[in-house]
Parts: sequence; C-alpha cells; structure tokens
Amino acid sequence: MSLLEVNDVKIAYRMPGDDVHAVNDVSFSIDEGDNYGLVGESGCGKSTLAKSVLGLLDDNGEVREGSIEFDGRELLELSERDWQSVRWEDIAYIPQSAMDSLDPVMTVGAQIRQAIRKHRDVSKAAANERVAEVFEMVGLDPDRTGDYPHQFSGGMRQRVTIAMALALDPDLLIADEPTTGLDVIVQDKIMDKLIEIQEEIDSSLLMITHDVGVVAETCDEMSVLYGGKVMEQGETDRIFRSPTNPYTIGLKNAFPEVDEFDEQAISIPGSLPDLTEEPTGCVFRNRCPFATERCEDGHPPLDEAGGQLSACYYTDRADELREEAADPATWGIDVRDERDRSGGVGDTILETRGLEKWFKQPQGILEDLRGAEPDYVKAVNSVDLSVHEGEIVGVAGESGCGKSTLAEVIAALQERTGGEILIEGTPVDDLLGESTKEFRSRVQFIFQDPFDSLNPRQRVRAAVGEPLKIQGHDPETIDRRVRETIEDVGLKPAEKYLDQLPTQLSGGERQRVAIAQALVLEPTLLICDEPASMLDVSLKANILNILREKADERDIGIVYISHDLASLTQIADRLAVMYLGRIAEIGATEDVVTAPKHPYTASLLSASPKTDPDVDRQRVLLPGEPPNPVNLPEGCNFAPRCPKADETCRGEEPARATFADDDHEAACYHPVEDVESELLERYAAAREEEVGEIVESELTL
Amino acid sequence: MSGYSFDTETAKERLRSELGRAGRTLRFVLKDNAAKAGFAVIVTFGFLGVFGPYLAPYHPIEDTLQQGGSMMRLQSPGGKALLGTTSFGKDVLSQFLAGARPTLIVGLFGGVGTGILGFLVGLTSGYFGGRVDEFLMRLTDLTFALPFLPMALVILSFVTPNVWLITAVLVVFLWKMPARVIRSEVMTVKERTFVKSARARGAGHTRTMFLHVAPNVLGIGFLYTAYAVGWSIVAGASLAFLGFGDPTTTSWGRMLQQVFRSGAIRTAWWWVLPPAVGIGAVTTGVFLVGRAFEEIVNPDLQTEQE
Amino acid sequence: MSFRRFLIKRTAIAALLTLIAVSVIFATLRLLPADPFSALVASGSLTPAEVEQIRAMYGLDDPIYVQYFRYIQNLFTFEFGISLTQQRPVGEIIVPALVNTLVLLLPALVVTAIVSSLAGMYAGWNRGSWFEQSSIVVTTVFRAVPIFVTGIFLLIIFSYGLGWLPAFGMRSPLANPQGYVATFASVDFLKHYILPFTATVLFYSGDFLMLARNSVVERKGSEFLMLHRAKGLSEMEQLGRAGRNSLLPLVTYFALRTGMLFQGVITLEVVFAWPGIGRALVQAILNQDYPTVQAAVFIMALAVIVMNLTADLAYAKLDPTVEAGDV
Repeated sequence: MSLLEVNDVKIAYRMPGDDVHAVNDVSFSIDEGDNYGLVGESGCGKSTLAKSVLGLLDDNGEVREGSIEFDGRELLELSERDWQSVRWEDIAYIPQSAMDSLDPVMTVGAQIRQAIRKHRDVSKAAANERVAEVFEMVGLDPDRTGDYPHQFSGGMRQRVTIAMALALDPDLLIADEPTTGLDVIVQDKIMDKLIEIQEEIDSSLLMITHDVGVVAETCDEMSVLYGGKVMEQGETDRIFRSPTNPYTIGLKNAFPEVDEFDEQAISIPGSLPDLTEEPTGCVFRNRCPFATERCEDGHPPLDEAGGQLSACYYTDRADELREEAADPATWGIDVRDERDRSGGVGDTILETRGLEKWFKQPQGILEDLRGAEPDYVKAVNSVDLSVHEGEIVGVAGESGCGKSTLAEVIAALQERTGGEILIEGTPVDDLLGESTKEFRSRVQFIFQDPFDSLNPRQRVRAAVGEPLKIQGHDPETIDRRVRETIEDVGLKPAEKYLDQLPTQLSGGERQRVAIAQALVLEPTLLICDEPASMLDVSLKANILNILREKADERDIGIVYISHDLASLTQIADRLAVMYLGRIAEIGATEDVVTAPKHPYTASLLSASPKTDPDVDRQRVLLPGEPPNPVNLPEGCNFAPRCPKADETCRGEEPARATFADDDHEAACYHPVEDVESELLERYAAAREEEVGEIVESELTL
Repeated sequence: MSGYSFDTETAKERLRSELGRAGRTLRFVLKDNAAKAGFAVIVTFGFLGVFGPYLAPYHPIEDTLQQGGSMMRLQSPGGKALLGTTSFGKDVLSQFLAGARPTLIVGLFGGVGTGILGFLVGLTSGYFGGRVDEFLMRLTDLTFALPFLPMALVILSFVTPNVWLITAVLVVFLWKMPARVIRSEVMTVKERTFVKSARARGAGHTRTMFLHVAPNVLGIGFLYTAYAVGWSIVAGASLAFLGFGDPTTTSWGRMLQQVFRSGAIRTAWWWVLPPAVGIGAVTTGVFLVGRAFEEIVNPDLQTEQE
Repeated sequence: MSFRRFLIKRTAIAALLTLIAVSVIFATLRLLPADPFSALVASGSLTPAEVEQIRAMYGLDDPIYVQYFRYIQNLFTFEFGISLTQQRPVGEIIVPALVNTLVLLLPALVVTAIVSSLAGMYAGWNRGSWFEQSSIVVTTVFRAVPIFVTGIFLLIIFSYGLGWLPAFGMRSPLANPQGYVATFASVDFLKHYILPFTATVLFYSGDFLMLARNSVVERKGSEFLMLHRAKGLSEMEQLGRAGRNSLLPLVTYFALRTGMLFQGVITLEVVFAWPGIGRALVQAILNQDYPTVQAAVFIMALAVIVMNLTADLAYAKLDPTVEAGDV
C-alpha cells in the first residue's frame, strides 16, 4: 500500500466574485521511501496540493472533492486537533522561503525544540540534545542553536528548516521549492544534503518545484502539473527521455541547459488559462501548437502512453510531436539567421577602466576622531569591461558578487568611486555634465522585478511615453513611437495594451512594457539586471529572444546581468564571471562554458542541474560561503575555498589576464584543466574528512 | 528644462484618473456600515456648517428671549425655544445651529492644512533622506516635545483668539503626525523598482517625487488628512471648552464651556446635550470613515491575495 | 553601528532637543506682546512703582540674554523660582499636581494597554468576526469623541442623573487626609477616582486595540506562522506567537504614550476638577503666572523627550532583527 494516496482531488479558493479552481481531479501516490516530484510553473496548483496534504490551505481554500489518504487514514476527515498530531509527527514540511519562514523573534534552537516538545513528552535538555543532533545532520554548527534567524545566511536558514523537519523522523517530508532563491552552488549543496539525509532516515519525499532539473536529478516518479491538472505522470527518467505531452515537451525544451548555447530559446506563447471556471477542454489548448477542435471536448483523460500516463488526445503521435516541437517555428517564434558570435566586431559602445564602487563602512566615534582609515565593502573592484555594437555581454555571479552594483554604476544610478566609464568614447561625466538627458537617451536599463518595475498608477501609454516626454518630443512623435515600440516588443496590437494598468497585465507582458520603456529612446547601450529571473521558464525565453533580436537588428550593445548561467549561455556573446567585486574570468561564451579556467567558474558551471536523466552529475560541494566582503583575504579572493590554492595565491592577487588565450582571460595562477579530478572530487573528499572529524570527536567524548 | 519638471498635461491626466479612483474608493468604503453612518453624519454636519446660521430662528448671541417681560433663563425645551434656553436667556437651538460653522472651519481648514503640510514634509523628508531627512525629523521631534495643548493655551492667552488663528496654531502643531507616517511610507515606495526605473528613464527629482512616489502614498495622505480633520475638531473644541476659543462667535465647544462654567450642567441637560452630541457625532463620523478607508489603503492590512 | 555609538548619538540629540525646546518656550513666553503685571496694575492691585520693584526682584529688568542663561541654568537644576501669584515655590505647586495626574493616568494607561492590546490581538486573529467589528467601532467611538465630552456624559449620567458618584475633585470637601497613603487608599478617593479613570481607559483603548489588531493581521498571513501551524501548534499557541511578534510596536507606543502622561489630559482634569498638572497649568496661564507655566511646560517637554529616547532604545534592544543603526 502507498504511504500517501491522493485521489481525484479538487481544490478551489473562494474569491470575491468567482471561485478559483486551483486543482482539478488530481491523483497521485507515493510509496514508502520514494521521492516524488510535482513540477509545474506558477499557478499550476502544486503548492496548493502540498498545503492540502498538511491541512494548511488558506482560510478561503477548500478541498471540494476527492480523498487524501496517509498510511490508510483519510486526512480530509481529521479534526483540527487530530491534524495537530499528524503534522510534523508524520508529515513534516520544508517551506518555500526560509527567509520568511522562521519566527524572527525566537532563537532557531527554540523553534526546533518547540516542535519536538509539542509532540513528545521530553525534558528541555533532551530536546536540546536532539536539536544539536539535527543541526549536525544538516551541517550546521550545533553551538549556534541560540542564534536568531537573521544571524544566518539564506542557505543556512534553509538548512535550519530542514533540520527542523528532521527533528521527529517523519514518514513523509514535503519540500516546497526548498532551494528557490538560493545561489546555484548553495542549492547544489543543500539538495545533496537533503537527499543524503532522507535516504538515511528512510522517509518519503514530496518535492514541489518549478525547476525541471531539480526533479530530474532527485525524484523517482513525478507528475507534471498545468492549470490545476496533471498533464503527465510516471517515472522521471521515462518522462524526461521521451515526454508524450506537448506541455511537458515544451517545458523541457524551454528549460535552458548550461551547455546548450547557440540554440534559440523556446518559449510557450500565451498565458495561463482562466481558472475561475472548471476546465471544459484541455487546459493547455490555448497555448498548444498542436491543438485541434477535438481538444475543446473536455480535458483529455490521463491515459497510458509509452510507459507513463499522459493527458493528451494525441499521445499516439508523441514521437512526431517531439520532433516538431524542437523547432522554434512550431511555437510561433521567428527563426533567427545564423549569427556571428565572435563578438568585438562593431564599434566599442561601452568601456570601463578600473571601475570601482566602494562602500564606506561606519566605524566607531573613537576611530573617527583618531582619523583611522575606514573599512570598505568593495562591491565593484577595478572592473574592465567593454561592449561592442550588436554584442551581448553576460555578467554572471552569485548574489553579493557585485554584479547588480556594477550594472547600476554603469547606468549612473549609483555614483562610482573610482575608475572611468566611456560611452562611445565619451567619458560619462561629460555626458552627465549639463543634464542627464543626453546620457539617458543613450543608456537605458531593464530591471529585475517585472511586478514592481512599473508604476501601478501609470497606464502603458504614459509609462512608455514618459522617457520621450522627458526628452521633450512633441505629442504626435510620442504617440507614434510609443505604438511602434510596444508592437516591437511583441505586444500586438498596441491598441489593446495602451490603456491598460500594470495590474491588468501578466508578468511577461509587464516585463515587455518595461523593455519598451527602455527601447523607446533607441539607446545604444542597454543594461539588463536579471530581466527574466522572476518569470516562469516558458516566458523567460521570450524575453531573451526579444533582447537578442534588438541587439542584432539595431546594433544595440547589451550588458546582461544574471545568476542564471543557462540563460546567459543562450543569449550572451561574451561572458564575464564575477566573484566578490572582481571579474574572475571573461571570454567568448562558448570558450568560458566549455573550457572554464578559473576554479570558481568551473564550480559554478558544474552546479547547474541537468534534465538529461542519463547524465550522472557530480554535485559541487564547494566548502563555505563567500567571505565577508569587508575583510577580504590577502591575495586571490577565492583562495580560501579553492582546492588548488597555494602560497602564491594567498600572497598576491592574480591579475585578470594571468591566464590569457586570445580573448579568454582568467584571473588564476593555476587554470583548471580537468574539472572532475581537480575540483569536484576534492570538494567531496574535503567534506568526507570534515564529517569524519565530527564522528571522531564524538567517539572520543 | 521642460521635460524635467512635471508638465501640466501629465498632471491633468493624472488628476482625472485620481478623481475616478477617489470615486471608486468612496463607494468601496461605504460598503462598511459604520462608515455609512459616519458619512451620513459628516454630510449632515457639512450642511449645518454652511446653512446652519440661516436656519437659526434667533440670533445666537444678540437675541435674548423674553417671556412676560422677563428673560427666559434656563427654560426647558418647548414653546418659543424648541431646545430650551441658556442661563442668559439665549436660544439653545439657534446656538447649536450657528455653532456648527466655526467647528467646521477649524476642522476642515485645520485638517486640510495639516494634511498638506504633513504630506509635503513627509514626502521631501522620505524622498531625499540624508541631511534633509535628519533636519525635518528633528523638527518633528521638537514639535512632539513641545506639549500641544499647553503651548496653544499659552499663545492664545496673549492674543485674542479668532477662528483663523486657532486653525493656524493647530496646523503648526499637528503636521508632524501625517509627516511621520508619510515619510516612512515614502521610504518604502522609494525603494520600489519603478521609482529607480523612472530615474533610469531620465526623470528628474521633481518628476519622480510628484509623479511616481506621491501618487502611491496619496491614499495614506488622504487618510491622515481625514484623521487630522478629526483631531482639529477635537483640539478646537478643547480650546474653546477651556475658554480659549474665539469669544465673538458661538461654537459647540464654547457652548459647553458656558454651560460648565455657569454650573447649569447639573440640571440643564438640554443645554449640554446638543453641543456634546454634535461634537461627539462629528468626530466619530470622521474616524469611522477613516477606519474603513484605512482598511483599503494600509498596505500592511492587505494579506488577502489580489 | 554599535549600540554604544547609537546610544551616544541618540542621547546627544535628545539633549540638544531639550535645549531647543526650552528655548522655544522661553521665547514664546517673552516675545508675546503682553506683560504679566500690566493686568495687576490695571486691576488696581499694584502701583506702577510696586511693579518696578517686583520686576527687579524677578530679574525681569536684566537684559534678555542674562535672563535666558539664568533661566536655562535654573531649569536644569530644577530651580523653578517663586510663583508670581501664590507666593510660594513653584515646586510646591507642581509636584503634588504631577503626583495627582500620575495617580490618575498611569494605572489607566497600564490597564488599557494590557486589556486593549490583548483584545486587539484576539480581534486581529479573528478578522471579520463579530467581536472584531464591534470592538473596533466601540473603541473608535471613544477614541474619536473628545475626552471632555465623554467626561461630561459620564458626569451627567452617573453623578447628576443617578447620583451614584461624586462629580468634583479628588476627595470630599470635608476629608482632610495627611500623606499619600491616607490620600489615595481610601473609599472616598476611590469614588472620586472611578469616573475620570473610566474616561481615560476608554479614551486610550482605541489606539492600543487598533495597533495590536493591525500588527496581528499583518502577521497572520506570514510564512513563519504557517510553519508554526505545520509543526502542529494549536490555534492559541499560534496566536501567542503572532502576539509576541506584534509586541514591539505596542511597547514602543506605550513608552511614547507614557511620555505624554505628564501633559495630563487637561480638559478631563478640568471637567472632573482633578487637581492635576493640566488643571494647574490652565490656572497658571489664566493668572499669567510665568514661572509656574515655564516649569510645567518644561517638565512636560522633558518627559516626552526622555520617553522618546527610551522608546528608541527599547526598540533597538528588544528586536533581535533590528540593528541599532536602522532605527
């Protein structure tokens, strides 16, 4: 018998006006000790399902039909009191955002202890012992149980929530996007830990995620959800090797892989179905390139198709569909001509020389009086970067590496503290001199968060027209150019969008309006700070395509900042990798990706999950986290975490061109030759040692 | 520099859409029953404030009611005086009707003045931050430290109070309340991406401040203006009750002062109740509407999904 | 910023603020176009010669800056001088009045802070319930109606109408207790105490209730409460955590309100003839008794500044997530 059995569940939220049918007739089951994945984009109902298994639906949500059985017991009939005993004891939960999920005014130890003592009649001392135990299991220092959540980094907080989930040895762990928002290396380490522990304690895992790669690497079985419906269900390997449902195919194709450069990104056009009514046809039909009239007659049943279950009327044509779906034209995307990706062909648009942005740290009054030199956070530290006409330069790095600061400094949204910026050969100060108009008409910016980058009170027409108005154009020109630009970014016809408010637009549409705002002035340089990172994978590609197109057509130079290497490899001609304010490595994207020379770049690249079930990737267990940027080590910034570091590295900082091969430069004395043996295996070995030490110290006690 | 400041065309368009929004908001607020009652009271009060003096059967101060050759002192309601008379033989109903106007003036102008001044200070302080902020916030600290009613009493004890002076004094002491709230709200809005985005598109400070930041804190601004109307009415009435009101006009606060001073409060309920109920009803009305409005504009209370 | 640096900075600002505040008070009292003695001359109680003599005695003949420095010096040594009208040290007038005000307001504030905050938390947790709606409307009414109007209503109902409780002062005219204990621990005092106490409690209840309710509403949808719930905590335990997380604004607000206590609730003291600081101040202003007004206003300002400082420091100390520099 299965541990968890979800049968024909329907969940709806009561809303003013219409109810929202978030989950419709979903069934799946998890066997003991299994890892099960629920994958899908935002709004597909995956988190709603997870919450219903814990009885944690919001007050306006209710399970209208179906049953959820756990260990043979019907959960939907439990009273609140019974629920309280099931929660955590039997089913534990790892929440989505560890940032907000810990009680800010309670020490982390107390929060875990609270969970233990709620269910077990144990003394405080015994509970504390258990807290220390689980802390060690997840790789946290047991001496820190008395700290408050804000004293931990994001990755460590996520470890705390995992430790908490383990406290009572639950039979089922529900992990709701456990690594979303974490840097890729941290994510890799946490997933490694989670899987390792879960195997150790022999519990089942329900993994909820939008990240196809995470599911592919961790789950035995999975369901693909879309619009509250299961689209495809079965063994993970099988589904990824030969998906039979058009949505799964599209999702898999849209999901970018680090080493798939030079492939045009695929996006699924259109937007999510309206869920205020129960679906009458296939929920995916309005976005599906293969939809026919037949797809209107009710959502297709989940039927056997090639070893897995798929909800599509055309599973018999699956091979054919897969083939067609690989072609971007199938998804309504204009196929680009083969382009020259060597970079550096046109004139130089942007050049920075030794660019610096240092933030002064506050110090004590006494130090002030003594005139002591204050500490600095060197967010951007002597960065040389150039961008040419029609070229996209990607800047990659983890959070806190200074990439966003770099973007804002170049765009004169923050003042630089040193170095030079030249725009088409003119020093930026000259452009800014009299008024910022001239500068703004040449350099424009696209921000990360599409949900917040438009003024909620401004209609599209006013938002896109504003930059022109500031430049002093007449109303007719403004009107004409606003329409042109809006259609240019794919919002057609312009009429439909001009009088919309941001709240009436979807995330993808909003981001396109933001791009239109930037493009309307026809700038020569465009700086994009994570423009697609908050969008679902099926929409992400769309934004990338627009940017690539503009770079090619209008010869705009683009600086594309992102933590997402896979997106970068798809779009960037050249790639720069930043670590702690410096560029560690830079070169043509293909060179950097296929033959990374800096150990940090190599680690970063290896940490991206793969959807291909045949690849057995070694996880990147890079020890530690980036050091405090105030007190940087002498020598190479990366030396303290680098297995190849020696005295030279710790003594003197390597210049950027320490390794140089044509355009490809890396600031490293010991460029990487073989990633596996030189880095990944050594990281793993270092960790074994660490664990061994802990065990030993326990034995001696 | 035309494009750099805010142009009239944009401002007009903005104003129109704000008015439409205001209408929708009001309809939404009035779904709340308490707010409905409060709104009715406010409308009635506004009507009294404008037309009250014309409706009064007698002049509230000059006419002394006579009956059989003697002054009608402390007459209970009925006959010539529908709501009875004061101990000086004045008609309570006439005083009540006439007394709404000074209360309305003090409340309206004091409240609106406070709202506007507080909004501008809060906006400037929050938007620019740094030294400007430090200075303005220390200024609000100072007005917090100087006790409002005592200082107002001191000032009004040296000069003859009139309605406008009292209004001015109120504004000088009350602006700090909206200023603080608006400032913290502006500091949140300022960090939002669209504000940075406006700067990146080339908008200058004035434009960013008034077209991008201000509209998004306008709701809170109106809320505190509404509350300031309430506070002003309370403060004006308190001053009048303590004997520091405008001696030449009749206001509800002054009526209460007279009934209290004369000692008639023990018996003449008809003299006490109209002004007491009047003040209480109006301030309650303002606050009830304010509360309902706050449920909409306070971002912290929006826990439900959009 | 370290806590010590923060402390030093805040204290320095508070001190500066106090200095500016007292200067403003000084200027207001001196610059306004009136002379405290002209009224006495006009009423015929003093001859112009006598006025000259008194002016010299109070140092009012000295240049304004000399007066200013002497004034500052005296204030900070709590030397408030002699009352102009009562011929006794200002301290003797002010201190008992302050005690009377505190005896009335402090218990009222503490009671309402605790009761209303708890009610507010419960209301916020049960958003949309009958209890929430009615508690908000009721406390809003008492918060909105000027406190002297509430006082007048209480008076005409319970004193003049029903005759249950005395209307005037702090004790019966015949009682003449000695010492604080005898004064405040008697049935007679209690009878006089009930009405003004009730009015104060009702008046302050609205702010605490709304603050607590809004904080809990704000926390209610939060992720960490969801995790607490997922851990199996009962409804009341969850509310307890939400309440703990809402405590900070309440504590801060309580500190600020306490700072305002010394200002008394002037109109209320007048309505109930409570011999507190507010009533003393009104009388001093009416009598143009400079030194008393100065001293009273100074104490009120100082209390606000000190309690503001306390609130800031409490905030920095109590909230583990706030670095001192963020305040």
